[in-house]
Formats: sequence, C-alpha cells, structure tokens
Amino acid sequence: MKLDELRKIRERAEAELRLRGGPSRVKIVVGMGTSGIAAGARQTLRAILDEVARRDLRDVVVTQTGEKGLAAQEPIVEVHEPTRITIYGEVDEAFARRIVTEHVVNGRPLSERVVEVREVRDDQPAH
Amino acid sequence: MIEDLAMHLADLVENSLRAGARHVSISLSRCGDSFLIEVSDDGAGIPQPELARVVDPFYTTKRGSKVGLGLPLLVQTAEETGGSWAVEPRPEGGTRVRARLGWDHPDRPPLGDLAGTLVPLIATSPGVEFTVELSDDRGTWRLCTGEIRERIGDIPLTHPEVLCFLEEALREGMDAVGLKEDR
Repeated sequence: MKLDELRKIRERAEAELRLRGGPSRVKIVVGMGTSGIAAGARQTLRAILDEVARRDLRDVVVTQTGEKGLAAQEPIVEVHEPTRITIYGEVDEAFARRIVTEHVVNGRPLSERVVEVREVRDDQPAH
Repeated sequence: MIEDLAMHLADLVENSLRAGARHVSISLSRCGDSFLIEVSDDGAGIPQPELARVVDPFYTTKRGSKVGLGLPLLVQTAEETGGSWAVEPRPEGGTRVRARLGWDHPDRPPLGDLAGTLVPLIATSPGVEFTVELSDDRGTWRLCTGEIRERIGDIPLTHPEVLCFLEEALREGMDAVGLKEDR
C-alpha cells in the first residue's frame, strides 16, 4: 500500500470538484443490519457504490444504516430527495442498479418493490 | 443465513455503529489453527445486567426487531469450531467482542469477501474512524482511516478511486499476513 497514491487521488478529485461544484442532490441509504446483511445487503451496497462510481454521479451520497424493523423486506434502500423519501424493499443487486439508473439518474421512481413514500415538508429536510 | 466470516464481521461492525461508536477497531489474527476475530468500539456499551443476555437469540435492543441473531450465531460458530468467545465492556467505555474459531475445523464457515464487505461499510460511515489490524505468526498489517482522511482531505471515502485504493490495500494486507482461504 502506497499512501502517497492518496495525494494524487486527492489532487485529481479536488480538481474535478472545482469543475463540478454543487451540493449533494440525492442521498441513498442502505440498511445493513443483521437481517439486511443476511438477505444480501452487502451486494446491494456494493452495486449502488459501483453504479454511482461508474456513472460518475458526484452529487449522490451513499451511506448505510442499521435495522429498520423491516426484516421481512430486507435489503432495504432509501432514496432521500429534497421533497420525498422513497423506501424500496427486497433490493437485490440488479434492482439496486435500476434504482440508480431509473430513479436517481432519470428521475423516475420505480413502482415496484416500494415499501413507503414519505413526503418531506420544507421544515423537515430529507437529508 | 450468515454464510461466511465476512458477514459475521459486518454484523459486529454494524452493532458498533448502532451503539454510536466514533472509533471501531477490527482485528483479525490467524495463529496456527486459531483464528481470532475482535471488534472493539467506543460506543454506548452494554449495561452489565444485559451482558449475559446478548447471546440470547430472543433478546435485542433494536427497536422494531424481535430477535437479535447476530451475536448468538457468531457464538454458535465459535463453539462449533472448538473455539471460545467473549463480550465485555471496555474500561474506557464501549464494548469488545472476541470470537476464537478453529481455522482448520470442518465447520468453520469460509472467510468470504472480506475486502468487498468491509470497505463499503467503512466508506459509508462518515464521522467514524476505523482501525483494521490483520496479523499472523509473522507480523501485523494495519490500516487507519484517520491516516487516509489526513491525506485525502475533504474527498469522501466513497470516491471511486479511494474505494479502489482501500480494497486493494486490504487485499494486500490479507496477502501479507497469509489470510486467505486455503481449502
């Protein structure tokens, strides 16, 4: 491992950031509790990170969280946008990639495997 | 359900994150036939009266969850492979979980994709510092996210090039200490 490589990565990434700018637009949260992991949440999280990286989506933040009390529907993925939070269930690797391409990139939320859609009021930020 | 050791490890790390840990230390050590998994954190800790119940599969502190299978399954795996386990409070706060497994035991689950499991978990936990220590009879390999963050500044660990760097680094570390599947 060469830690010096990180300096080069930083220089490149900061140059890209200066060019693009702007705050994050969407946050994607993957449930990584025991039942989520057992249901395949690792592959789901990896697929989302991979798809976001491959499409160079610099305004998308990916994070993870613990159990959501929705064990039967794991893996759970939440898409947080300024006006709503969409919660998808049973998100396998292929569906995770569709969430990124169709919902996040094309702005068309999927109608399948939706557990809940929460509207977010102005005084209740989604992020 | 939990098929490999990487999944067990991810579950332990998730417990630490849920306890509000700001620093999580992960240690994997292979010494002869013994394989030691240790995760310690500076999270909220487990009150003494509850410590004895953490390996009860019908006990959980998670809201909305009726069972807490993660630790009981790890305990079962440790015992089935002739090993031992301990869940204890750290004197400075937080919790330490240790499981010793028999590496050559036929019931030991496979190692699984350690780098592919740990790196996404580490990278998507902003504000939490991780130390990963891998060791064997010959030496120790160490990775600290604090050192990495110092070098990358405001660039997130989820940046694609940083993710690749972390996965490669962890795989190099596993090779360096001979931590690989050999059956």
